[in-house]
Amino acid sequence: MRAEELLEQVPIVLRETTGAEAARVVAEFRLTGLVVADDAGAPIAVVPGTQLLSVVLPQYVRDDPKLAHAFDERAADDLCRKLNTVTLGELLDAKRIKATQVPSVLPEDTLIEIATVMDQGHYPVVLVRERDQSYRGVVTMSRVLAAIATAAGQDSDLVRRRLQRDIIERGRSGVLTETEPDSAASQGLAGPTSGD
Amino acid sequence: MHATSWLALGVFALAYVVIASEKLNRAAVALTGGAAMVAIGATRGDAMFFSAETGVDWNVIFLLFGMMILVGILKQTGVFEFLAIWSAQRAQARPFRMMVMLVLITALASALLDNVTTVLLIAPVTLLLCDRMGLAPIPFLLAEAMASNIGGTATLIGDPPNIIIASRAGLSFNDFLIHLAPIVVVLVAVFVGLCWLLWGRHFTHDPERAEAVLALTPRETISNRRLLWQILTILVAVLVGFVTHSLTHLEPSVIALIGAGLAIVISRLDAEDYLEDVEWETLLFFAGLFIMVGSLVHQGVITQLADTLTTAIGTNYHVAAQGILVGSAVLSGIIDNIPYVATMAPLVHDLVGPAPGLPPGQQSLWWVLALGADLGGNATAIGASANVVICGIAKRNGHPISFWEFTKYGLIVTAVTILCTIPYVSLRYFILA
Repeated sequence: MRAEELLEQVPIVLRETTGAEAARVVAEFRLTGLVVADDAGAPIAVVPGTQLLSVVLPQYVRDDPKLAHAFDERAADDLCRKLNTVTLGELLDAKRIKATQVPSVLPEDTLIEIATVMDQGHYPVVLVRERDQSYRGVVTMSRVLAAIATAAGQDSDLVRRRLQRDIIERGRSGVLTETEPDSAASQGLAGPTSGD
Repeated sequence: MHATSWLALGVFALAYVVIASEKLNRAAVALTGGAAMVAIGATRGDAMFFSAETGVDWNVIFLLFGMMILVGILKQTGVFEFLAIWSAQRAQARPFRMMVMLVLITALASALLDNVTTVLLIAPVTLLLCDRMGLAPIPFLLAEAMASNIGGTATLIGDPPNIIIASRAGLSFNDFLIHLAPIVVVLVAVFVGLCWLLWGRHFTHDPERAEAVLALTPRETISNRRLLWQILTILVAVLVGFVTHSLTHLEPSVIALIGAGLAIVISRLDAEDYLEDVEWETLLFFAGLFIMVGSLVHQGVITQLADTLTTAIGTNYHVAAQGILVGSAVLSGIIDNIPYVATMAPLVHDLVGPAPGLPPGQQSLWWVLALGADLGGNATAIGASANVVICGIAKRNGHPISFWEFTKYGLIVTAVTILCTIPYVSLRYFILA
């Protein structure tokens, strides 16, 4: 299988997206990471979902994890609410989270070429770009593994579904869907882009 | 002085400037300086490793190493977090009362453990308390850095310069308690008053915010009660060992190592846990410094300098003591007080000799060196290791403290504490001696 057959659309967040919105997107789409777009809406990097957890925690708790035990429910809720007041851009600038630049592959690249790029830098996702750098979508590790499983004879309904259904479609019944780009933009999120 | 001595002096001065500039890792600079001393023939292997006068002072290195392990294991228990939150709740979460409690805890813990570790442990919990109360944490962090330098002055183990002075001068833990602890108690009281003037009078109490602190659960921070009691028992035993030095004749470094060994065995922690808090960089920095300063001693540079000073001072130790007190305070504000004392200790040793048995006036030179260097460390953000640590924590948590913001308050605190110390030295070692 080639990249153009494996590529899919995923939710994309912007620098203006607040921490709380980012957390919601991760939850709604059951993501392990967030694809961050530049000002023009073109994906540039990935922020692992675990880093969002660290954003909830004040630096002093990360320095001294025993302080986490001192928080009661109210204090914990206060910390979570602070995610509404900070954007991903601010967090990136303050180095509270670190976005990993994601490599890209060409639409005609093969499964092995994609797997090699992912393996080299331990990337869970790679971007698919045309030769003129226009963005087409991403190839995720789960979809690569689904293709590998199929090729290895471990086919199943769920594997087939993973190959056919994009992550973005998990949100069909949610707020952010492929058909509601305006709604997404109004919440500081970039709608899925086809790059065409 | 012959050519090698001049070369050694040049290497030393260059290393000092680079260390003071903080452009390069200080341990790397000190070790490179030590290597350069060997390269130019200013010292030899036996002088570096087997002589406390001209090489690495292993008493200092292993006392620090033992205490770092002990404090590292104590840290695992969560006792500092408990103490800080508990004390804030005892203060009814009133901002100034809370500041006073934190200052007192920091000063006491700095005297009994070491001041760098103390601020490392107290600062995060202070940020938590200020966060819950909606208070700006910088005044609290500044007060803690300064309290740690004042409190650490009281004992042999409280501040690294004291460990160097004790080893060079042959002073015991009790000597520090007798000579420095009384004035430190006065200085802490004065400092609390300064805290009110500098910050406390501007605080406002918000009962609703205070509720947020009162709702915290300090007991939950104690992760291992059994380990806490075991380590506290060992720490008390170590302190008893320091105090009974005149009976046991065990060096503080040996006592600290025995305590650390016991704590490792009893705690059953993995090596990476109990070694986590050992500041290898600091230990290497000390080793490099000792080699550099030892090379100057080996070359007779320090003796020549001491001879010149002896001629200048004559028998007027009163003026010399006040001069060293004020001079040390000024210089410690400009450069880290550890390299300063590492250089000055052999000089004072050549001036008056080991402290035991000296008349009060001459012995006072050792005490003013400790007082000046420790209290002078408060003057600027780079004056003492605790200040550097506090500024680093503040910056990482989004509350950067500029050099000048620290210095603005640091100069006031240093000036007031040194002014209080001047009459103490005059009365105790000269007028009433």
